[in-house]
Parts: sequence; structure tokens; C-alpha cells
Amino acid sequence: MSIRDLKGPSRWWALAGCLIWLAFTLFPLYWAVITSFKSPLGVVGGPTYIPFVDFEPSLTAWSELLSGARGQFYATFIASSIIGISASLLATFIGAMAAYALVRFTFEVRLLSAVIFVFVAFGGFLIGRHALGLGQAISLIYAFVAALVLAIGSSRIRLPGPVLGNDDIVFWFVSQRMFPPIVTAFALYLMYTEMGKMGFKLVDTYTGLTFAYVAFSLPIVIWLMRDFFAALPVEVEEAAMVDNVPTWRIFFGIVLPMSKPGLIATFMITLAFVWNEFLFALFLTNSKWQTLPILVAGQNSQRGDEWWAISAAALVAIIPMVVMAGILSRLMRSGLLLGAIK
Amino acid sequence: MTRQDPIKHFFIWPAVLIVLVISIFPLIYSLTTSFMSLRLVPPIPARFVGFGNYTELLQNPRFWRVTWTTTIIAVTSVMLQYIIGFAVALALNRRVPGEGLFRVSFLLPMLVAPVAVALIARQLLNPTMGPLNEVMTFFGFPNLPFLTQTYWAIGAITAVEVWQWTPFVILMLLAGLQTLPDDVYEAAALENASPWQQFIGITFPMMMPISAAVVFIRLIESYKIIDTVFVMTGGGPGISTETLTLFAYQEGFKKFNLGYTSALSFLFLIVITVIGLIYLAVLKPYLEKHR
Repeated sequence: MSIRDLKGPSRWWALAGCLIWLAFTLFPLYWAVITSFKSPLGVVGGPTYIPFVDFEPSLTAWSELLSGARGQFYATFIASSIIGISASLLATFIGAMAAYALVRFTFEVRLLSAVIFVFVAFGGFLIGRHALGLGQAISLIYAFVAALVLAIGSSRIRLPGPVLGNDDIVFWFVSQRMFPPIVTAFALYLMYTEMGKMGFKLVDTYTGLTFAYVAFSLPIVIWLMRDFFAALPVEVEEAAMVDNVPTWRIFFGIVLPMSKPGLIATFMITLAFVWNEFLFALFLTNSKWQTLPILVAGQNSQRGDEWWAISAAALVAIIPMVVMAGILSRLMRSGLLLGAIK
Repeated sequence: MTRQDPIKHFFIWPAVLIVLVISIFPLIYSLTTSFMSLRLVPPIPARFVGFGNYTELLQNPRFWRVTWTTTIIAVTSVMLQYIIGFAVALALNRRVPGEGLFRVSFLLPMLVAPVAVALIARQLLNPTMGPLNEVMTFFGFPNLPFLTQTYWAIGAITAVEVWQWTPFVILMLLAGLQTLPDDVYEAAALENASPWQQFIGITFPMMMPISAAVVFIRLIESYKIIDTVFVMTGGGPGISTETLTLFAYQEGFKKFNLGYTSALSFLFLIVITVIGLIYLAVLKPYLEKHR
């Protein structure tokens, strides 16, 4: 009995509050499940609550959905899974490398180099676009390369001005998340269209959407994995360094296996984010690589009040993540993730 | 301690390059476009208009209306999320009976696709066939216009936001509560401090930094709301529940008014930055006091 445990009546008040919140949390999900088992007539007849007691369950919605009569669920489900899993794997891997570098190595970027980068990128684009009359995409690419080369080159010289360290780089990564995604999504759509005119089809392709998701997940991956790597004991790595093990082998052979729990947790969080993401998919896909949220949202306007079908469609999007949450909490309880979530 | 090693470039460049490309390209593109008059449908050649798009937007009552709607939804839902989330986190931290079950099921909503949540909410709120209508009819209020009248619709969207994101607040605050030291509470118990005094005097001040961070994250995220509104009301009735992101989507993707949309998204960025700065400025004295 610790000092924190509730005693007396307040314990029961807290329990009552939690139960109310539990009902509020679970009722919508329960409702979706039972509605998906109602027959069309059972839905129109007014609300009913308990299967077998006040309505007779039917498999109409599910058989229609699984037979493909309700739009391309199989294709969309597969597209969603492929994009979700590959984007999260890539983001976790690339982000983990960057996070590790930011924890263990020293980075110094002159503020002036960053300023040079932004100016050359903007100026180069404007010059290419308006003075030289190049296309949008071409001038963007030239400006980007020129800016990058100049910025890296300038960081070799000892420029005056403040120096940005590891923490500033992390802040830069994380601050990308503050951006309203509409800014990025809309511009990205236009950019992809421009690229499409040059022969690289990116709108409604696997590459285009996955790339956008990787970039958008990286900030959160770096943020999570940085805390995790920082908590790892540095002694093991030092011992390996004494034995002259190359750094890349320390990372892949020692650090990554040690941080498996953190990697799994980060992967799952990223996957949930990508799986449920709506705005980017709305802008960047139109048919072939459409993801589940778009298809599910479309059910609304296409089907009106056919709730049995809508519920089944919504559940297809919900169930994989609920299963994943179950696995995640299992892992947490079994101690595999101990220390991963602080 | 950090160290020097040339291999560090190999580790960090993939991430830097990807984020740079995806952030700087759109930034350059939309910032330059925002100073031009550019339409795809009907196609008009680009023309430099300076701050034309911005002034036009600032004079557009729809922009202010949309900003106001978004602010109302964001502020009320985050407030409710924080109050409910804090209460639930306190209860879970004090090992309410059945805590293990609550912990798992309370986190569920966060993982559900917002689009799916909105679809389910539409069914629950249906004014003639939904279960909520039956409850309200029982209390003598039949056929309330949950999604078709401005105030009800905003309330419904707020409720859905609260349902979906309170779990995040619970998760973060619970993690914070578990790091609080026991001995302070033991001392307070010896002094016969009432539970309320303990909360006001100890728990709340010590939770201030994490609370500030949680509310900040939620506030910024709430301003980006689109999917729930998109499905639940489509911005209607009229434009009365339209949010900033939805407005930008309508202008950009339905009317293909590129310059205007780019200007709008930058104004949006400015709005978010201003709100963030005000929030930090208001909170700073409190945070420093409790450091």
C-alpha cells in the first residue's frame, strides 16, 4: 500500500469516472461492430443495441465487401499495407542512423552556411525560372544542387557567426512537424505534377507517396530514437572501439540489436501514423495507389446512409491497428520494451 | 560524450537530404507562387502580383470566419482533452481498480483512423436513426440537428476530437505523474493536507512543464484538422464548420487557384507561429517559477 493509492470513497468516485470514460471510449467502436452485422432493414428500422436480442445479425455487409461488390477493397488494402510497411521500415532505419549520429558524433554547422543554402536555393530558383526561362522543376533541381554544394563548400571555410550544434539540428528536424501539412502536401502535388511533365511519374505512384511519408515520419523517428540511443550504455561501444571494430559494424552489429525494443515501438508508431494519414494520400494519389482512409472517406458520399456497408469499411481500416496495439501492449508487458518508453 | 568520425556523414546525410528536399522544395515553390496570380482552371499565365493574394485573403471575410472556426474547435477541444486527460491520468496513477484494463482500452482511439471515427460519428449522430437521437428523444428533445446546424456541428466535431485525442494527453500526463517523487506526498500527508490542497500545491505545479508541452503539441496539431471535418460535415452547413486546411483544399484542389492557395497556406503558417509564440510568452513566467 503506497502513499499514492486511493482510499475510502474517493476510490469509488475515481472508478465511476473511469467507467464513464470507458463507456464513452468503447461505445462508438462497439456500435460500428454491431452495425456491420446488421441487415439493411435492421439499420433503417431505428437503433438496436444487442445482437440476437433486439436484432438478428446478418453477414450481408461483410460478404458484399469481401466479394468486391463495394469497391476495390483488396487492392486498396494491399496498397495501403505495402506503402505503410515499407515507408515505416525506411523511416525507422534512416531515422535511427541519423539519431545515432546525432547522439554519438559531433556536428557543427555554421549558421551562415545554412543562410547561404536558403538564399541560393531561393535565388537560384527565381533566376532559373525568370531570367533563364527554365522549367519549374528543372530550375528547382539546379537551385537545390547549387545551394547544397555552396553550403557544404562554405562550411569547410571558417566562416564567422554562431555555430549550430547537435541540439539545433535535432530542433530543425522536429520543427518540420510544426508545419501545417497542407503547405507541403499542396506544393508537393504541384512539384510531382511538374516532374510528371518531365517524364518521372510521381503522382499516384508507389515511389511518390512512400517518399513523402518517409520524409514526414523522419522527425518523429529521430526524436524518439534519439532519447532511446542516449539511454544506451556507451561502455559497450567503447569496448568495441578499443578492439578497432569499425563504426558501421558497431552500429549494425551491436547498437541496432541492443535497441530492438525501441526500434519496434518506433516502427509501430510510424506505421499507425502512415496507415491513418489522410491529407497526403488525398493529394498525391487518385486511383492505383489510393490508401484505405481515402477509400473509406469516399464510402460516405457514394453510399449515403448504407451504414452496414460503411461500418464494415471503417472496420477494415481500424482492425489492423487495433491488432497492432494489442501486440504492442503484449510486448510492453513482457518486458521487451522495458526502457523504451520513458 | 560525442566524438569525431568521418562516418558520421554517411549516417546523417540520407535523413537530412530527404527532409531538405521535402521541406525546402515546397517552401520555395509555394512562397514564390504566393506572390503570383496563377490558375490552372481556366489556365491563366503566371503574373506577378506582389502581396495581392495576401491582401485579397485578409479582406476576405471567409478567411477570418474559417480561422475563427478552427480556433474555436482547437481551443475548446484541447481544453477538454487536458481536463479529462488529467483526471483520468490521476485516477490511473492512483491505481484505480481495474487499472490494467483501462490503460489498454483508453489508448485505443488514438490508433483509429480519423476518417473511420468521423464515419462512425455520423451514424451515432444521425438525427432520425442514430442512438443519440433515441436518448435525446427520451429526454424530450427529438431530432436535434447534430450536423446541420452551426453550433451543434462544431460541438459534434469537438466531441470527436476529444474522443480521439484525450488518450494522447492521458499517455503523456501518466508518464509525467509516474516520475513525481513519493516523499513530497508523504510529507504533505503528515501535514494533514487535503487531497485538493495536495493537487493544487504539489501535483499541478510539478506537472506544469509536461502539461505545457502536451497542450502545445495538441494545439498545433488541432489547427491542422481536416479529415474529421471533411467526412462529418464537409465544412457545412454552408461554410460554417470549414477549417483552415479544408479551406485551402477547396481553393487549391477544387478551383486550382494556385497563387491564392499558396498565400493561404503561408498565412496559415503565420497564424500557427503567432499562436505558438503567444502561448509560450503567456506560459513562460509560470514555467520559470516552477523550474
